[in-house]
Order: sequence, then structure tokens, then C-alpha cells
Amino acid sequence: MEKEPDHFRVPVSDIYRRKTPFSQLLEHMEKVRECIDILGKGLTKYYKGEYEGFSKVADDVSRLEHEADIIKGNLRNHLPSTLFMPVDKGKFLWALREQDAILDHAENLVNMLDMRHTKIPKELQPLFIEHLQLVVVTVSAMETAVSNIKDLVETSFVKRERDQTKSFIHKVHEAEYAADIKKYEMTKGIYEHEKDLDPMDVYHLLKIADWVDDIADHAENVSDWLRAMIAK
Amino acid sequence: MLLIIGGASAIGFYMAWSIGANDVANSMATAVGAKAITFKQAVLIAGVLNFIGAVFVGPHVVETVKGGIIDSAFIPDGHTLMLGFIASLLAAALWVTLSTWKEMPISTTHSVIGALIGFGLIVGGVQTVHWGKVGSVAASWVLSPVFGCILAFLIFKLLVKLIFAQDNPVHSAKIVGPIIIGVTAFLIVSSLLLKTALSEMMGISTLSQSIIISGIISIIVVFLSIYLLRNIEGRSSEDYATVEGIFRKLQVITSCYVAFSHGANDVANAIGPVAAIVPLASTGEMNPTAAIPTYLLVLGGIGIAVGCMTWGRKVMQTVGGRITSLTNTRGFSVDFGAATTVLVASKLGLPISTSHTVVGAVIGVGLARGLEAVDLGIIRKIIISWLLTLPIAAVTSIGIFLVIRLFI
Repeated sequence: MEKEPDHFRVPVSDIYRRKTPFSQLLEHMEKVRECIDILGKGLTKYYKGEYEGFSKVADDVSRLEHEADIIKGNLRNHLPSTLFMPVDKGKFLWALREQDAILDHAENLVNMLDMRHTKIPKELQPLFIEHLQLVVVTVSAMETAVSNIKDLVETSFVKRERDQTKSFIHKVHEAEYAADIKKYEMTKGIYEHEKDLDPMDVYHLLKIADWVDDIADHAENVSDWLRAMIAK
Repeated sequence: MLLIIGGASAIGFYMAWSIGANDVANSMATAVGAKAITFKQAVLIAGVLNFIGAVFVGPHVVETVKGGIIDSAFIPDGHTLMLGFIASLLAAALWVTLSTWKEMPISTTHSVIGALIGFGLIVGGVQTVHWGKVGSVAASWVLSPVFGCILAFLIFKLLVKLIFAQDNPVHSAKIVGPIIIGVTAFLIVSSLLLKTALSEMMGISTLSQSIIISGIISIIVVFLSIYLLRNIEGRSSEDYATVEGIFRKLQVITSCYVAFSHGANDVANAIGPVAAIVPLASTGEMNPTAAIPTYLLVLGGIGIAVGCMTWGRKVMQTVGGRITSLTNTRGFSVDFGAATTVLVASKLGLPISTSHTVVGAVIGVGLARGLEAVDLGIIRKIIISWLLTLPIAAVTSIGIFLVIRLFI
């Protein structure tokens, strides 16, 4: 009985797809949301010098990255050249790729940090935490923008929804810019303390600043591709 | 003689049954997929409305299929012609059954015409077939997906402009939806009243009379649906879920429309050849002007209804779980585009394909940026099965004809 219904498939229904590319992109985004949530909390503790439980954070992030990879692979493998979408497929895939890069960078970051527990100087801690918060804001602004795809598709890209998405994208740019400024402050702070620090610590602190900031950069890239996708 | 009439009717019934199983599932798939109706409701609606459409609007197309394709002057005698029709009907029915089993949404109309061509070629040679007629029918095969596509595209664009782009989409949907339903009602009622058995019964003869009656009924329908939708309120300017909810209700009506048009159009495929066989068997003469007996239309209607309730039921059962990207506004546009094309064509006497029109309508909504993803690869596969239908039905028909000529 289980197998039997297969004989009665209707090809007309195959034209539509059970899982649409957009819903899969959103599914992938949910993994990013979950991952950045864990990362934000875990990294704040790390910055404060509480290294206990950070390996768990690294494991969780790696797991989410892997789950997202499966979604991404699935999406890419089922996007044949014959598939007709309301947006440019190339731009769509670039948005997916950039969204996946967020997870790649998050995974790289936590694993590197877990290998060597670098102490953040007391005076620099507030700067590091503020920067992290700005990066998290950038990613969540990107999530808002990407989520609006649902409404865009539903209304077949009417002006109101396109404008709304553009305003969300604008917020991503603002947050990313703020994160960049904060990163320069951090870097400056690190150089100011270079005499008191072990050279390896300096190197690692600079790297942390870069790695965390990369996440915001990729979130911005996602929103840029989204912008290109919805352009008339 | 009675045996032959009985046998032909049985094959006609079988053909109607397979039409019910194949076409109905394809034409109702959108409504079930968009969750406007459950598969049980779809089966019921399809059964009842196919029957009504077949019995009350059917006859026009039957004429075309029956007399138009083959020139009986080139057929040696009435007996051969009769065997030919039986062979063609059986060949077409077998091909439809096979395609239903193989999941191909082929055209039942193509099958019948292909089978008739095959028979004509083997008996009387190339000149037997009215190629001009075949050409015009073939043109309508191209035109039917194109018209389905254009209509669905326009309706969906209209919905976007008049509903989604508005500041209060729910409010607009409450007005625009009923008006389109009114248009639907107008088309259905006028097709029922224009030169049909029903209009004769009611004594309506002129065009203006039927238009006035349809107009009044459709205005009543518009106000009734506005009244029924009056309590729905949108929560915000982005409350698209409520808009879809309104269209879910309206789509129940368009899916009835699809079933109705389908019955009107496709009953001819099953009944046309039978209607030609009956006078041949009783008098031995081909009588192209004889009216189609109502009992045959009833037979075809019942056949289609039984087809969708038996095999079509199973088809439909699986459809629901397979289409998730289809929302009600899209389903509504596909339904409306396809059903209008089919109904108008059947009123004009053009034997077009419901399946082709539905596929065309889906592409139309896709082109209007309405669907998240349309797999053109599957559409290509479907089109190949359309192209294969004609030769396969023709060859099968020739085979069956040669075999039964040995026995009868």
C-alpha cells in the first residue's frame, strides 16, 4: 500500500516543486540565526575570560554549519538549468553562497579561538563586546531583509514590498559601517597595548578583530545580492 | 447490430472513464494543491460538474470530432467505417489509460484525432483525411496553451495590481474577487443558455435573452459573494494570509468552473465516435447531421464522473501532498485562465485539450513572476508526450482495425 500511490502521480503537479528555493534559502537562514545567537553569547563570555563551555559553543557552531551545508547542497543540486524562477538564478545562488560564508567564518572563528584561549586585556574588553554586538546586529538586520522575501514572492514583487526590503537592506549597511568603525577602534586599542602584550597575543587579537568583522562583511554581501535580485 | 451498439457504447464508456481518470486529475490538481478543496471534495465536484458540463454544453464539440476528421466518401462501405470508429475509440482509450498509468498528462482529444487519422490513412489513403480540418484542430492545440497562458498571466497581473499593490490588500480582495467570480458565473450561465438543450427547454432563443439572464445571475453572484465575505477584515497592509484565505474560498468556485468546462469539452472525445457508430450500425449509412442522442451524452458524463471517482480519486489523493508552492491566488489564476479558454473553445466547437491549457496557464502565472519555481524540464517532458500522442494513437488504431476486421 505504501508504494502504490506512486503510480498515480500527476505530472502537472511536478511542475511546481514541493520545496521551493526561497523556502530553502530561509531554512538556511534559520541556521545562520541559530548559529549567530550561540556565537554571540559564547563569544561574550570568551571575551570576559570565561573559557569554560567554549568547546561546546565550537561544537554547536560546527554542527549548525554542517546542517546548513546540507541544506545548501540540496538547494544547489535541485536547481536545474530548466528551472524558471521569478528572480535571477545566478544572483540567488550568490546570495546563498554569501549566507553560507557567514557560517563558514563563524565556524573558523570559534575553532581558532578554542585552540588558543587568548586573554583580552581588561581595557579592551568593552570595545570587543561592542564590536561583537554590532556584528550580531548586522546579521540580524540581514535576516530581516532576507525574511521579507516571503512577502516579495507572495505579492509578486510589488513596489511596497520592494521598498520595504530596500529599507531593511539599508539598515544592514548602517550596522556594517558601524561595525567597521568599531573594528578600527579595536585595532587602534590593540596597537596602543602592544608593548604590554605578548606578540602572539597581539597577533591573535588582531586576527579575532578581523575574523569577527568578516561575518558582518558577508552579511552585507548577502543583502547586496538580495538588492540585485529584486532590482527591476 | 445491438451487440455492436452495445460494444461501442461500452468502449465509449471506457474512454470516458479514462478521460475522467487522466484529465480530471490534471485539471483539478491546482485546486487540491492550493488546499482550496480536499481531494474528496475535488472528486465530488469533478464528478457532478463534469456530468453537468457534458450533458448540457457538450454537443458542439461532438460534431467536430464526429464528422470533421475523415471524409467518409473514400471509405468503401459503412461497415468498414463503423469498424474504424470502434478501432479508433479503443486505441485512443488504451493510450489514455497507459498515459494515466505512466503519469503523462496527454490530451485525450489528440488521442481520438490521432486514432481517426490512423484509420483513415490505412483504409482510404492520404486523401481520406481532411488535412485542413486536422490543421485547424492542430492550430488550436498550439493556441490552447497559449491562450491559457495569456489569460492566466493577465488575471494574475490583475490580482497583483488591484490587490497586492493596494494599500489595503484585504479590502481590495473582497471587491475584486467577487467581480471575477461574477465573470465566471456569467461565462458558465451563458454557455449553458447559448444554443444548448437546456436553452431550448427553457424557450430561450436569442443571444440577447441569454446575455441578459446571465448578466442578472452574475450580478446576483457578485453581491452574494461580497455579502458572504463582508466579515473578513485584514490586520495590516501586509496581511497577505487573509487575502489568500479569501481566494481559498473563491477557488472552490473556480474549481467547479474547471470541472464544468472540462466536462463540456471532453465528453466529445468519448461520445463523438460512438455517436457516429450508432446510426452506422442501425442503418448502414453515415449521417453527419444527425443530432447526438442525449442518452449518449449522459453515458459519457457518467463515464467521466465514474472515472474521476475511481482512478481519478487515487490520482487526486496524492496530488495534495505534492504541490506546496502553490498559493490560492495562483491556483485561482490558473483555474480561471484554463477553464475560460476551454469553455470558450468548446462553445466555438474547437476540440482543444484541457491538459494543454492547464499547463499553459501554469506557465502564464510563472511568467508573471507568480510562482517561486516552475520546472521547465518537466514541461518539456510533457510536451514530448503530447507530440508522441498523435503517431502512437494512429498506429494503435491501425493495428486494432486490422485485427477486428478479421473477425467482424
